[in-house]
This record gives sequence, C-alpha cells and structure tokens, in this order.
Amino acid sequence: MKTLRNIAMAVAMAFVFTSCEAQIKNPKTETVKVYGNCEMCKKTIEKAANEKGIVKADWNVDTDMLTLTYDQTKTNTDAILKKVAYAGYDSETFRAPDDAYKNLPECCQYDRPAKVSAIAENHDSHKGHDMPAAETNQNSPLFNPVYTAYFSIKDALIKSDGKTASAKASELLKVIATAPMDKMKTEQHTLWMKIQNSLKTDAGHIAETTDVKHQRDHFASLSENLYALAKTTTNDAPYYYQKCPMYDNGKGAHWLSKENTIKNPYYGSAMLSCGSTVETLK
Amino acid sequence: MKHCYQLLLLFAVLSGYAQNSKEYDLYVTDTVVNYTGKKVKAIAINGSIPAPTLHFTEGDTAVIRVHNKMHHETSIHWHGLLLPNEQDGVPYLTTAPIKGMSTHTYKFPIKQSGTYWYHSHTMLQEQIGMYGAFIIHKKQEPELPEYTMLLSDWTDANPHEIERSLHKANDWYAIKKGATQNYAEAIGKGHFLTKFTNEWKRMHAMDVSDVYYEHFFVNGKQEDHAPQFKPGEKVRVRIINGSASTYFWLNYAGGKITVVASDGMDVQPVAVDRFIVGVSETYDVIVTIPDKDTAFELVATAEDRTGQASLWLGNGVKQLQQPLPKLKYFEGMKMMNDMMTVGGNMKDMGMNMSLQQMDMNTVMYPEITGKEKDKKTASMAMEGHHHQETGNTDIVTLNYAMLKSPVKTNLPDGPVRTLHFELTGNMNRYVWTLNNKTISESDKVLIKKGENIRIVVTNNSMMRHPMHLHGHFFRILNGQGDYAPLKNVLDIMPMETDTIEFHASEEYGNWYFHCHILYHMMAGMGRIFTYENSPPNPQIPDPEMALKMVYNDDRRYYFSAEVGLESNGSDGEMRLENTRNFFDVEWRLGFNKNTGYETEAHFGRYLDKNQYLSVYTGFDFRYHNSLEREENLFGQASTQNQRAVACIGLIYQLPWLINADVRLDHEGKARLQFVRKDIPVTERVRLWGSWNTDFEYSVGSRYILTKYWSLSAHYDSDMGMGGGIVLTY
Repeated sequence: MKTLRNIAMAVAMAFVFTSCEAQIKNPKTETVKVYGNCEMCKKTIEKAANEKGIVKADWNVDTDMLTLTYDQTKTNTDAILKKVAYAGYDSETFRAPDDAYKNLPECCQYDRPAKVSAIAENHDSHKGHDMPAAETNQNSPLFNPVYTAYFSIKDALIKSDGKTASAKASELLKVIATAPMDKMKTEQHTLWMKIQNSLKTDAGHIAETTDVKHQRDHFASLSENLYALAKTTTNDAPYYYQKCPMYDNGKGAHWLSKENTIKNPYYGSAMLSCGSTVETLK
Repeated sequence: MKHCYQLLLLFAVLSGYAQNSKEYDLYVTDTVVNYTGKKVKAIAINGSIPAPTLHFTEGDTAVIRVHNKMHHETSIHWHGLLLPNEQDGVPYLTTAPIKGMSTHTYKFPIKQSGTYWYHSHTMLQEQIGMYGAFIIHKKQEPELPEYTMLLSDWTDANPHEIERSLHKANDWYAIKKGATQNYAEAIGKGHFLTKFTNEWKRMHAMDVSDVYYEHFFVNGKQEDHAPQFKPGEKVRVRIINGSASTYFWLNYAGGKITVVASDGMDVQPVAVDRFIVGVSETYDVIVTIPDKDTAFELVATAEDRTGQASLWLGNGVKQLQQPLPKLKYFEGMKMMNDMMTVGGNMKDMGMNMSLQQMDMNTVMYPEITGKEKDKKTASMAMEGHHHQETGNTDIVTLNYAMLKSPVKTNLPDGPVRTLHFELTGNMNRYVWTLNNKTISESDKVLIKKGENIRIVVTNNSMMRHPMHLHGHFFRILNGQGDYAPLKNVLDIMPMETDTIEFHASEEYGNWYFHCHILYHMMAGMGRIFTYENSPPNPQIPDPEMALKMVYNDDRRYYFSAEVGLESNGSDGEMRLENTRNFFDVEWRLGFNKNTGYETEAHFGRYLDKNQYLSVYTGFDFRYHNSLEREENLFGQASTQNQRAVACIGLIYQLPWLINADVRLDHEGKARLQFVRKDIPVTERVRLWGSWNTDFEYSVGSRYILTKYWSLSAHYDSDMGMGGGIVLTY
C-alpha cells in the first residue's frame, strides 16, 4: 500500500516537474557588470550564459548589466561568468582570455578595462604583458621585417594555406625592397647583394600563385638564402634550422623556425611533425 | 666482516644526522568523500586528500611513522628519493607491507633537494587518495615565494572496476568522453576510409588516455587560490603530477613559464608557452604575476582534454587562460594508420623520433593545426558569429631536448652495460609489457655496484609511457653532452627511442623500473633491477613468498560476462582471463524443445606477441530437434542436433577485427567460424555478426544504455528473431 502511494506521489511529482519545465527552480537573481558593445554582444553573452532550465540571462546594451536568474542548487554566478568570459567578455570577476577577445567580431571588440602592469613600474621598456618578453630582444632588428614575413609564409604553408602564403609573400617583397642597406655590416651587405635577387624571385613566385605545391618549391630555396643571412646575425632568441628529409623525392629541404619543435611546412598536417633540427642559430 | 663495517659506517652517518632529525606521523584511514554528489570510498592521510605536504631540508634525517588505521594493508613509496632499499616502500619487494592496524617507521637520511612526492605502492590505492608532496629545501636556497601544485585525477568508479573494464576493452569510458570514434561520426567528418583502415589494421578506437575521470584536482580542489603573491613577483611553483593515469598540459594566463627543475633536479631555465607533465613527473617553474589587481590562471588540462584544474596566482580579477580545444581524433587515427603495419608493429618511417621532439599527436591539436572542418564549424562560420579560428604555430612547447643540467652529470667511470627495452602492449586486452614479457614472466635484471647501465628504450606500443626508476637518477642522453639532464621519470611517446643511463650507486637491493600509469604497472609493465650479492632484507623474512606476492599483481584473472535475455532465448558468454590465458563458457538456451540448447566451454592461451593467435581446448554439448541440415561445408555429416564432443581449436584475429575460429572435435568433425563483435556504428549502437561452416549464422545489434545494460535484437539461424536486453559486465 505504501509503495502504491509512493508511486502515485512520484507520478504526480513528475507531472508537476514537466508542466513547469521552463521555470527555474530554487531561483536566485543577481545583476552583474559584463563589458560589451552592441546587440551582437548581447546575443553572444546571453548564449554563453543561458542553460535550459538552469540559467536565464538578460544583458542590457545600455548599462552593460547582466541580469542572471539561476537555479542556485545547480550553478553559481562565478561559473556563469566564467562561461561568458570564455566567450570573450570581461566582468568584475573574470577577464576573458586574450584569444577569445580577439576572436570577437570587430563591432564587438569593446574597450576592455585596462590592466595595470606591475612590471612597467620596474622596467620602463615594457608595456603590459601582452608583449612577450622575448620579442624585444629578437633576432637582429635590421632583418626583423624580413623574418617576420618569412615566418608568416612558413606558418601559412604549415597549414597548406596558399592564399595567406601568397599575401605574406607580397609583404616580404615589400620589406625586401625597403631593407636598410646602409645599416648593414660589410659582410651582411655583400651577402644581401648576392641573395637579394633570388629572394625577390622566390617571394614573387610565392606571391603570384595560390598553388601550395609551387609555393613550397620556392619556399625551399627562399629558406636556404635566409638561412645564410641568419648566420651573419647574432640573436638572443635562437632560430632553428630544420630539415625535412622526404621533400622532393628524398632530396630533402630546410626551413627556419623560432622554435625547436618541428612543424613541417612542406607537407601540411599530414607530416606536420616530420623532420629534425639540424642547427641552432644564436 | 665487510657488512659489519658498513653497518658501523651507517650508524656513524645516522648519528651524525641525528640532531637534524625531522619527524612526521601519518595516519592512514578509510574515508568517504563526496566530490560529485555521490559518496565514494577513499583513503585519507591525516584526514586529508591529498596527503599532507612534508617539508625537509637537505641533511635532515627523516623519521616518518605511518599508522595504518585501516583493516587492510598499505605501503608508502618515496618517489624519486635516494635511500636505502628497505626504505623504498614497495611492499614485499623492498619493504614489509604495513598490515592493518599497525605502525611502520621509515627512517632515512635526506641526501638531495627538490620537488618529490609520496604515494601508496599497494594495488590501486594511489587512485583513491594516497598521494602527497615531499618537498626538500636546499640548505641555502634563494629566497623566492613558492607554492606547491599537486595534480591528481578523480573518478567515482571503483578503481578495481576500472581495471576490469580496461581488460575487457569495455568502451563505456569512450562513450562518456565522446571518444568512441564511430562510423557515423567518421562519415560525417569525411573519415570513413580512415576508420575502416584503422579497423582493417586491427585497431580499436584509440585515445590518448584510457580512463574517464569526473574531476581533475589541484591540491584536492578543482580550483585552488594563492592570493598571497604580489604583482610583479616571481613565484616558484612546484608542480607534481600525482595522478594515477593522466598527463596534464600546463598553460599560464600570465605569459611564459620558465622551467627550472624536473623530477627534483635543477635544469637551466628555459621559457616556454606550455609543457606536458607526465604521470608522476615533477616540474619546478617560475612564473611572474604581471599585473595589479589580477589573478592569473595556471591551468592543468588533462591530455584527453575532458577537464582541467586551475591554480589562481595573485589577487583580483581572474585572468582566464584560453582552454585547450577538443582533440581531432580522426586526424590522430589517420596518423596511427600510417604508422601501423598490418602486422601490428609501429614504424616510424625513418624519422628517428626521440625526446618528445616530434609530438605526432600535434595533428590532433586544433590550437596548433587549426580547427576541425566539420559541418558544425562550417555553419558557425556562415552565421558570421565567429571568425575562422586558425591554429597558432608559434606556441613553444617544452621537450626533453631542451632540458640541460646546470652542472656536468657525467657518470663516474665504470664498466658500461647496455640493455634494450621495447615497450610493448595490446590495447584490446590491456596487456602491457617490456620485450613482450610482464614483470612476473621475466627474470630480475642483475646489476653490480659501480656499473654504468645504459638503457635504450623503444616504444612500440600505441600509448605514451612514463617510465620510472626507483632509487636512482638517470641521465637522458638528449644531445646536451656533459650537461644531460637528470631525471627519474622518462616519458616516451609511441615510436620514440630514447637512451638513458645510470650509475649503479647503491649497495644492495631490488629497485623497480616501471611504467607509472597505475593500470599499466599493475598489468606488469616493468622490470626489477637487483644488485648482485644483496644481503637478506630483514623486512622480507620469506623472500620467495614475497616475490610471489609481487608477481601476483600481474597474474590476476579478470572476470567478464555478457548475458542476453531475449524473446527467442538466452545467449551469453562468461570469461575469465589474464595476460596469456582464458577460460570461457558460451551458451545459447532456447525456450522450447525446438530451439534446444548449446553450450561450449574452452580453456585457451594466446601465443604471439600481438595476441592475434590463440589455441584452445574444450567441449561442446548441444541438443536441437528441429534442424534438418545433413552435412556441413566440408561434406561431413552434421551433428548439430545432438552433440557431446571434446574439441581443440585455434583462433586468429583477421584484419577488420574478425576472429576466425577453426576447430576439430574428437569425432573428427571440423568447423570454421567467423565472428565480428561490436562494430561501432554510432556512439551507442554496436553491430555484430557470425557465420560458420555448419551453416549457422547470426547477426545482431545492441544499443548501449548504461555501462552494464544494453537493448538488443538479433537473428539467429537456429533460434530465429529475438529482442531483449543484454547485461555486459
């Protein structure tokens, strides 16, 4: 008899629960600040915060205030704000990962609450932590633009992205043309005169096509020349000269990288980590 | 006489240290924890999980009394410490097990400094809470604020049940992780051929780890806070991976991480964006608190990316670190296909992989190789809500080649002996071995004091293994010459070959060398190094019996069963199996005379290293009265209606995981049977089928409801169509 009554109770309860499914139980309402800009932000913020039957969120575009109603037995404000931060939006509790912020559409890139760098007080040269410490002492600044463009091409080839490789090669062409020859040391100057034309040819070929295979052929010789150039400079952060043994039917090809880990630009993701570091240039 | 002298010397040394004796009392108790809303049994030390952090200074004498307040035995191993063999804490091998309701005192001089830890070495106790940090400070240490970050993994499941499921290759954990890598998913991602090739090469779905964990912890919490650090301050964080089977990626929201020590030994500082901490490894890092009024997230993400645990450094708004995106399993599968021969060997395609430098898993990392292109991301991109996220190839990841000792580490002169260990395993049956032999199947490796032992380790298995050596540091020959780093754990990835060397600097005893993934160790993945002419160990009064206890760990049998109750009868199988042997009983019981009954029982043994081939002997009883087949495929008179025979047979696993079973009974009748089980069609649907030369066949499907229960339907040539439920244990 008792069991029967229990069953009846359970059925009744189930009924009640299903009938008010949309409502949030054990509700608690809180209003917190979430930084943002526009209607599109509103959509993203609310989407990140909402959870069916557990959280209902409403963000006000004018006041930047997020009103949360949630089931306090299942979640809490911090957990919700964390999800909002992962979607790219800062609050008083969490600051979004920089990558998440950068991935927001342009119209949504609200002004972030400023961070006060602790290091800036001690060292005037640094501005905030967004600038990695290593970058300031990079490879001989003279050729920095050249290598920056080169590494961008390399990264595009790693992803087999012919379009980006082409665009970055155009940039490389520009910086090759404007390289400050007057500031080069004698040996660098001599070398630069020797390789300048082939640098231009290779960059030009990479720029004029989006065919990754063709780009890689020229990238191989481009890498050889820039390796020779890198040898004439001194740097604090090393460049790694790396080799893919399989390229061009086993003839092999080289490339330069800022890190020791192999990311092979010659085969895309299929052979991403195939290769080895043959020399470290410091 | 010589021993006497040594003893005297030891006493002299001990009394010399005595004034710096540092004592701890550890009370080990059974406890109940509730992390997920479910009460679960666990083991606490001094009432806490993890166990309390023990602090020492180099030169101290440690006196640690372990009070076992449980009714079953336990042990404590001091991981990474150089100490006399009987203090090492491996029960039955080096030290007496600590029986229930008794106290064991450890006493040893502290001859080193750095970040270490301690844990139970008894069965699976480490999984349920028996781990703690063991920090040894240098006598003069540069003053740097510091914090200990002890990582662990937590599951509500009973670890013995986990172990049993692993040996049965139950894919419930994969379902929980969303990692079944089924055919429907493969087709959706344009990877049908990848999946098919994978199974053709006799591989089940692979993951980077085996167990599903509910939680990952920093110091026993999902989030730990250390607000005491000031902006601009450099903080030394001592990171210890005390998990049972989880590797962790470490990332810091405040920028670069400078690695300054590993496994307790200093290395020259190297700045990286992230690094992986193998099971049981320790790393000391220095991070900076860059901004005011901000707390920075130092986040440990499980290698399989099912969860993470965070340490907040500093005080203020919490700066989050971008979480690591889900793995691209099919890219990994494709890579595995390329690396695996049909014969079941790994080939590295001439790449000479070593020292974590080529992480083949990179193909699975979206943060480096870009997002997976599936229908979902495509539609997201169309909505315009997200920019196409591409990978970042500038992330600097630590590898062993980057570790360099600040001092020369060359071994003292001595005869050099080279050993080769091939790490081997069988994922399907969860067999893990060195040179295809478990600990109990191999002899102890005898070494002599003063010898230099060089070990060339090749990983021919499909998983990475953290190989740990007790009581010694080894050099990893990583191209840093005289400055090769010293470690006591070597993480070795599939297809890698690494060389390590150590000086046999101890006087005596048995020293374990084993994979520190708890379930691999318990499966027998290791060796015992034994010093020649070791004196009897007073803690091990009956060495023969004790060694048997050690060996029993990997000789255990695991029980599994699959029992179907369907409208046309009951089908089922029960198995009892260990590393090499199996017993099984199969039955088909009809509900009436026409469908009859059949039962077969076998005892068998796996023969080859990949365990594709096994032989068995057994019997077959059956009774039907409705079947009218007169001959089998071989033209022999059919005995299907009534049979009581003994038989011998051979099972060979064919490509695409089809088991071919050929047998001969004592009446001279032959039968060849093909069976394919558990084809993963969707996340929870499995298909299976079988056919044999008696013209019996059946096909069926199963929908997995929970770990133990499935709905099933199948058609059997003898019993007809049926539907019902299946219990998978």
